[in-house]
Amino acid sequence: MKLIDALKIAQRPAVDAAPSPRVFLACGFTPLHLQTFLAAHLRAKSPNARPEIRTGLFGDLAGNIERLELSSIDVLAIALEWADLDPRLGIRSLGGWRLADVDDIAASAEVVAARLLRAVKAVGGEVRVVACMPTLPLPPAFTTRGLQLSSQEAQLRRIVASLVESLLQFPTVRIINEQKLAQDSALLRRYDVRSDLQTGFPYTLDHASVLGELLSGLIDTHSPMKGLITDLDDTLWAGIVGDDGADGISWNLDGHSQMHGVYQQLLSSLASAGVLIGVASKNEEETVRQAFQREDLLLSSDDVFPLEIHWSRKSESVGRILRTWNIGADAVVFVDDNPAELAEVQAAFPDILCRQFPKDDPGNAWRLLNELRDLFGKPAVSKEDTLRMRSIRTSAVWRNQDSPHETGSDDFFRSADPCIVFDYGRVPEDSRGLDLVNKTNQFNLNGKRYTEAEWRQFFDDPAAFLLTATYEDKFGALGKIAVMMGTAREGSIHLRTWVMSCRAFSRGIEHQCLRYLFEDSGANQITFDFLPTTRNGPLQDYLKGLFDSALTAPLSLSKERFLAGTPPLFHRIEVNSRV
Amino acid sequence: MSELENRLTACFASVFPALTEAEIPNASTESISVWDSLSFVTLAAVIQEEFNFEIDPEVLPNLDSFQAFRAYLQAALPALDRKEA
Repeated sequence: MKLIDALKIAQRPAVDAAPSPRVFLACGFTPLHLQTFLAAHLRAKSPNARPEIRTGLFGDLAGNIERLELSSIDVLAIALEWADLDPRLGIRSLGGWRLADVDDIAASAEVVAARLLRAVKAVGGEVRVVACMPTLPLPPAFTTRGLQLSSQEAQLRRIVASLVESLLQFPTVRIINEQKLAQDSALLRRYDVRSDLQTGFPYTLDHASVLGELLSGLIDTHSPMKGLITDLDDTLWAGIVGDDGADGISWNLDGHSQMHGVYQQLLSSLASAGVLIGVASKNEEETVRQAFQREDLLLSSDDVFPLEIHWSRKSESVGRILRTWNIGADAVVFVDDNPAELAEVQAAFPDILCRQFPKDDPGNAWRLLNELRDLFGKPAVSKEDTLRMRSIRTSAVWRNQDSPHETGSDDFFRSADPCIVFDYGRVPEDSRGLDLVNKTNQFNLNGKRYTEAEWRQFFDDPAAFLLTATYEDKFGALGKIAVMMGTAREGSIHLRTWVMSCRAFSRGIEHQCLRYLFEDSGANQITFDFLPTTRNGPLQDYLKGLFDSALTAPLSLSKERFLAGTPPLFHRIEVNSRV
Repeated sequence: MSELENRLTACFASVFPALTEAEIPNASTESISVWDSLSFVTLAAVIQEEFNFEIDPEVLPNLDSFQAFRAYLQAALPALDRKEA
């Protein structure tokens, strides 16, 4: 992005009022164009938001963080450079590069790094922190030639690596991957010496743009893809299993098919992090079953569900897999080696992301695997992520039963031994509730997203409450699957947010959530902050059942009316109250 | 207007968005209250990037108006000063 374009984007008026992050850009240099590029890239990602970016004092990175008023910011963005660890590592200070000075620089950098860690620790639990570690080259302050690493340089790099490792212990901290930065901004093109001397801004415009883009990428709430549907022949493995047999297919060096093994390895990794993996293949089921029995296959059949193995169109398979997963096509990647199959699926599902597996091109296969990492990567893997595939399998069992509203399914419900644990409190216990609110679309009261600061701020209201529900039955645990947030005053509840994971549909959990609020928390009336969105159809259907009418504001439900329409429920209920 | 003037006008508009296109040719440190050191550094950076050209640091302090920038760039980049049809 050019600076002139960044200025235009940053100045563009916002059409609607959208949540706008309040960012504090902490750096020791003049923030100048980095501030502009950061604002522009944030605007480019969320055109209706008006990010507010504040900055601190020149030359005092740690002090700027220490002086922060946490209530006035949502995000702390840190651009650390070597000169922040010791001014002698920049060229605006002439403190000496004699051998003794350089030894002292390393010692003082250690002290500053510890101070920075303390400062971030003080804010890290409260706001999201995004940071980049030193991006500029070290100055020629060392006595070895440039091609030879000096012990002091090694010491400085160890200090930074240790700082990074400590910072990443905080769940709210995200740090720019140096490998990605190196791909997008070559080291030799980052430092603008003249600008550093004249204005105190050390970056070239290109580097400032890249850094602004990467920082904004960490600030932006990124929704990773949720599922990957893969072909088998010449994709998951090399060869045609129907022709070559289970023993004739390969994914190894000897068979010149190693990249298929690497692909399997990546899919297995994604599955372990909660990504749904399905198979759409034109084959005989028994032949594929034999292939999946091979012990050297790197992707376990336990990690794949469902497998659509038949001779029908791929788009039919994809449609069935999407219904089983209960997610939209826009959250799914379809990988196949055959361009015709990709085109057929793309025509049927315009929102699905199709990628061709480059079976005879290891370089492009490598690029595809890196793209998949970017598409599916998430800041951290939660307990719920690791339970996802098992819960999808059990959901399929549930879906084969009748609706919970019909008496014919009562025996099945009872036999599943369903248990809901409600956690009711005045303050959020962990970030999982907010994560669920920010990524749930279908059963979502109004689609509203929150920053960590907005979420925390809501609980300053003494009437605020948070109710979360965790579910388990004999088929397995689903983890935390529902979140309700609102205020409770004199028997009346104002429900601001209500989301439930799509994995938990059709189990009566939504009824139990409302029942808990009416019966256990003593409410007589619940008012819903309902807003229709393009994606919250399942929530709208549920509310229409409750209100038996058009959903017009204000949407209020009495206890009497709710209880009169409640179907039989068979869950065991446990309650943890944190009031 | 020449290509040079068009591009220079766009640079000024990006840094001083409150100015109309008619006001830009008369813009100077004296006529624009928000023309401070920060906006000057930004303007210089935008112009250098736009024209892919490094302004002589000795000259920089004298570039205190649209016309001063125009004259400096006309001398340095005469090929861009042809009038557009």
